[in-house]
Amino acid sequence: MSQSVSTTSNEVKKPWRFYIFVFLAPATFIYTVFAIYPIIESLRLSLYQAGDDEGVFVGLANYARLVSEPYWAEQFWNAFKNNVLLFAMHMLIQNPIALALAALLSVPTLRGAATYRTIFFLPTLLSVVVVGFIWQLILSPLWGVTPAFMNWIGMGSFFKPWLGLESSALITVTLISIWQYVGIPLMLFYAALLNVPEETIEAARIDGLNGWWIFWKVKLPLILPSLGLVGILTYIGNFTASFDLIYSIQGGLAGPNYSTDVMGTFLFRTFFGFQAQLGDVHMGATVASALFFIILIGVSLYLFGVQRRLQRYDS
Amino acid sequence: MLIRERISSVGIHLILIAYSLLALFPLGLVVINSLKSKKAIFRDPVGMPIGDAFSWKGYDSVLTNSDFPMYFGNSLIVTCVSLFFILLFGAMASHALSEYRFRGDTFIGLYLILGIMVPIRLGTVALLQLIVDLNLANTLTALILVYTAQGLPIAIFIFTEFLRSVSREIKDSARIDGLSEYRIFFEVVIPLVRPVIATVAVFSMIPIWNDLWFPLILSPGDETRTVTLGVQQFIGQYTVNWGAVLASLSVAILPVLIMYIIFSKHLIRGITSGAVKG
Amino acid sequence: MATLELSGVKKSFGDVGVIKDINLQVQDGELIVFVGPSGCGKSTLLRMIAGLETVSAGSISIAGNRVDHLPPARRGIAMVFQSYALYPHKDVRGNLGFALKHAGVPAAEINQRVSKAAEILELEPLMERKPRELSGGQRQRVAIGRAIVREPDVFLFDEPLSNLDAALRVHMRVEILKLHQRLGNTMVYVTHDQVEAMTLADRIVVIRDGEVEQVGTPLELYRHPANAFVAGFIGSPAMNLLDAQCVGDKVLVGDQPICAANGVAGAVQLGIRPEHLSLSEEGVLKGTVSVFEHLGGESFVHLQLPDEQTFVAKLDGELSITPGQTYSLSVKPEHCHVFDTHGHRINN
Repeated sequence: MSQSVSTTSNEVKKPWRFYIFVFLAPATFIYTVFAIYPIIESLRLSLYQAGDDEGVFVGLANYARLVSEPYWAEQFWNAFKNNVLLFAMHMLIQNPIALALAALLSVPTLRGAATYRTIFFLPTLLSVVVVGFIWQLILSPLWGVTPAFMNWIGMGSFFKPWLGLESSALITVTLISIWQYVGIPLMLFYAALLNVPEETIEAARIDGLNGWWIFWKVKLPLILPSLGLVGILTYIGNFTASFDLIYSIQGGLAGPNYSTDVMGTFLFRTFFGFQAQLGDVHMGATVASALFFIILIGVSLYLFGVQRRLQRYDS
Repeated sequence: MLIRERISSVGIHLILIAYSLLALFPLGLVVINSLKSKKAIFRDPVGMPIGDAFSWKGYDSVLTNSDFPMYFGNSLIVTCVSLFFILLFGAMASHALSEYRFRGDTFIGLYLILGIMVPIRLGTVALLQLIVDLNLANTLTALILVYTAQGLPIAIFIFTEFLRSVSREIKDSARIDGLSEYRIFFEVVIPLVRPVIATVAVFSMIPIWNDLWFPLILSPGDETRTVTLGVQQFIGQYTVNWGAVLASLSVAILPVLIMYIIFSKHLIRGITSGAVKG
Repeated sequence: MATLELSGVKKSFGDVGVIKDINLQVQDGELIVFVGPSGCGKSTLLRMIAGLETVSAGSISIAGNRVDHLPPARRGIAMVFQSYALYPHKDVRGNLGFALKHAGVPAAEINQRVSKAAEILELEPLMERKPRELSGGQRQRVAIGRAIVREPDVFLFDEPLSNLDAALRVHMRVEILKLHQRLGNTMVYVTHDQVEAMTLADRIVVIRDGEVEQVGTPLELYRHPANAFVAGFIGSPAMNLLDAQCVGDKVLVGDQPICAANGVAGAVQLGIRPEHLSLSEEGVLKGTVSVFEHLGGESFVHLQLPDEQTFVAKLDGELSITPGQTYSLSVKPEHCHVFDTHGHRINN
C-alpha cells in the first residue's frame, strides 16, 4: 500500500463536518464538566478563604498555613510522611513479590499458568471496603483465627492486635493493601515478560546463559519500561486511592492516634470536618490541590525522567 | 538435567500454590463462616458449615432485615448506566479521533486522556459544590455523571489505540457502499470494536462497583447508598452480629466474583495485550 | 461500460503537492494499471477517483459525467481494497449483498446478482461463512465479488494482491485477467509490482512523485522507456545504467564504443537490459565477474568494468562462469537506450 499522505481528510467537499462534533461532544462535555472543571475550580478555591459570598482572595496563604501553621502542618506532614512510607513499602515489598511471581508464571513450560493468574488477580477486583473488613475480622483477637493459626505454627506468643497498635498499624494496613493489589504489577510484569521475543531468549541460550542468568541479564533489562509504569501507578494509587482502605479499616480519624493518616483521610477530615473539627471548603481544596501538585511532580518525573531513560531499552 | 528440571518445576508449583492459598484463604474463610451459626463461627472458624454448624441466619438478616437488596439495585443501576455511557460516548469520541483529521485533533485527543494520570478525586471539593448547585446531591444521577467522566479517559485511550490499528479501508468500503458517517459508526465501527468492549467494560466496571469515596461524599443518603457504602455502614451498626457481617461481605463479593469468572479471559487479555502499555 | 477521464487533477495537503496535474483518458473496457514506488501518489489518485479523497483542482469524469463533486456511492464505481475490507460481522452472502441492500434494491434482484457473482468467483460453498473462516485468497475473491455485485461502470483495485503469498498472487493475477475478459469493464488497478503491471495491463501509467512519467502499453514501456526512471522500473533485473561519453558519433563507455550517438555530445547515461547482453569474443564491454548467481535455467552475472562501474548480465544457466575472471560481452545497437544526464531519453 502506498503510504502517501492519505491520512488527511477523506471527505467529499464538506467544509464543516458536523458529525465530528456530534461524535466528540458528549464525551468532551461530560468529561469537562465533571472531571476537568472541578479540578481547576478546586485549584482556584485553594487561593481563597471564607469571607463574604465569593470568599476572599488570599493568594498562596492557604498553602503557607498548610505547611507551617502548627495545627495544619502537624497533620499535613504526618499524612505526607505516612503516604511516602506507604509508597516506599509498596515499592520495596509489593513490586518485588509481583516481579518474582510474574517471573515464575512466565516459565514457558509451566502448566496451569492461567489458573494461577486468575487466582492472583482475584483480590484486586474486590472492594477495598470488603477486603479491609475481611482482614479486620481475621486479625481480630475477638475471633481468634490469627492467634490460633500462630499457635499452630508455634509462634503464638508473637500475636498482637497489630491494627490497634500505633507502632504496627501502618505496616499492617500496607500488607493488607499489598495482599489486595499485588495483582496489578504482577500482570504488567507478566505481560512485559511474555512480550520478550522468543528469539532473544534463544540467542541467549545459545550464548550459554541458563534460566537464572537469562532472567537477570536479558529479560529484566527488557522489561524495565514496565518497571517505570508500575512505579508511577503505585505512586498515584498510594497518594489517592489509599483513602478507601484506611477509612474502612481505621475510620476517618486514621487511628490509632493518626498513625495511619494519609492525604486522602486528611483531605476528607479537612473538607467535611470530623467530630469537633469543622469542615473547611478552602482548606479542603488546598489539601486536594497540594495532592494534585504532588502527583503532578511524580508524573512529570516519570514522563521526562524515568520513562525517557528507560526508553533506550525499548526496542 | 531432566531430574533437575522436574525438581525446579515442583518448586515453582509449590511457591505458586502457597501464594494461591494466601490469596484465597481469607475469602474462603469469610464465605464459609457466613453460612455458620454464631457459636460455630467462634468455636471452629475453619470448620465447614455442616450439621448443626450450618445457619442461614446471617443471610436472612442481611437480605430481609436490611436495605441490602436496595443497595444492590442502586449499585447495579449506577454501574450499568455509567458503563453504557462510557462505552457509547467513549467509542464515539475514539472513532472521531482515529478516523478524522481536523483542527485541534491532537489537542483534544491528549485532553481527553489526561484524566488517566490525574485522578478525578482531586476535584472533589468543587465537584460536591457543582453537584449541590445542580440539585443532584444524594441522587444516583450524580454518581453516574461522575463515574462516566472518570471512566472516559481510559476507555477512549483503549478504543483509540484499537481503532487506529483497524484498517481504514473497511470504512472507505462502507463509504463507497453509500453509508452516512453515522451509519458507518453504528453498522461498521461498533461491530469492529466488539472484541475490546469487554475489556473496556471490565476495566471501567470494577472501580465503579467498588468505589467508596464518591458514594460517601456525593450520595450518602439512605435511598441512594451503593453496596460498598452500604457494607461499610451496615458493618458499623452490626458489629455484634458476626453472621450478618460475614454474610453482607459475601453478598458484596459475589457479583464481582461471578463477573470475574465470566470475563477474566477478556480482562487478562486486555492487560496483557498492551491495553495498559502506557 | 464507461470511459474515465482525468483532466488537470491535482491534490495538495497544505503546500505539499501530492498529485501534480494529471491528465489521462481511459478507454471503455480498458484495464489500466497505475504503477510506481511506494508513496508516489498512485493510491491517492485512485482514492480521488473513488471519491475517498477530495480533489484540489481539475476534474474527473466517468462515462462523460463529471463526478468529482459526488459522494463515492454515486460515482458508479466499485473498489477492491488491499486488506479486503470485508465486514467481519457479516457472512459472505451478507458482505456481497450489503451495498445493494443499503441502496434499497429489491431482495429478488439482490439474490440474483449475488448468486451470479458467487458463481463467477466459485464462492457458492462459502456463502454462509464469516470472513475470519476464509483463507486470504477466498477473502480476496469475496472482495472482488462485492465489487461485481454492484455492476459498476469502473472497477478500482488498490493493490489487491499485496497481502497474498507469491504462488496465490500469480493465480489471482490470472483470475483478475479472466474476469476482465469476461466482464469487459473499465478497470483501474494500482500496484507497486512491475510484473503485475506488465502482465495485467492494457496500458500502464508510471507515476513518480505525483506526476505521470509515461503512459503506454507494456511493450512500449519496455522497448521505449521515456526516461531512466521508467527504464529502471520496468523489467527485472533492472536495466543497467552506465555513465558514458559521446565522442564523435559514438557513445563510449570507458574508451570502448558501444553504439551510435546520433548527433548527441557530452556526458550521457547508457541503458542496457541485462537480458540483452551476451558473451562474445568480440564484445566491447570487458567486465570482471564479482558475483555469479545461478537460477537454474538462467544466471545473473554481476560484473565490474575497469572504471569500477558495475552492471548485471542475464546469461544462459548452462554456462560456467568463474568469479574473478574477465569476460567480454556484447550488445546489439538497437538494444541500447541513451538518456541525458537528467534521465530523459534522447535516441528513439
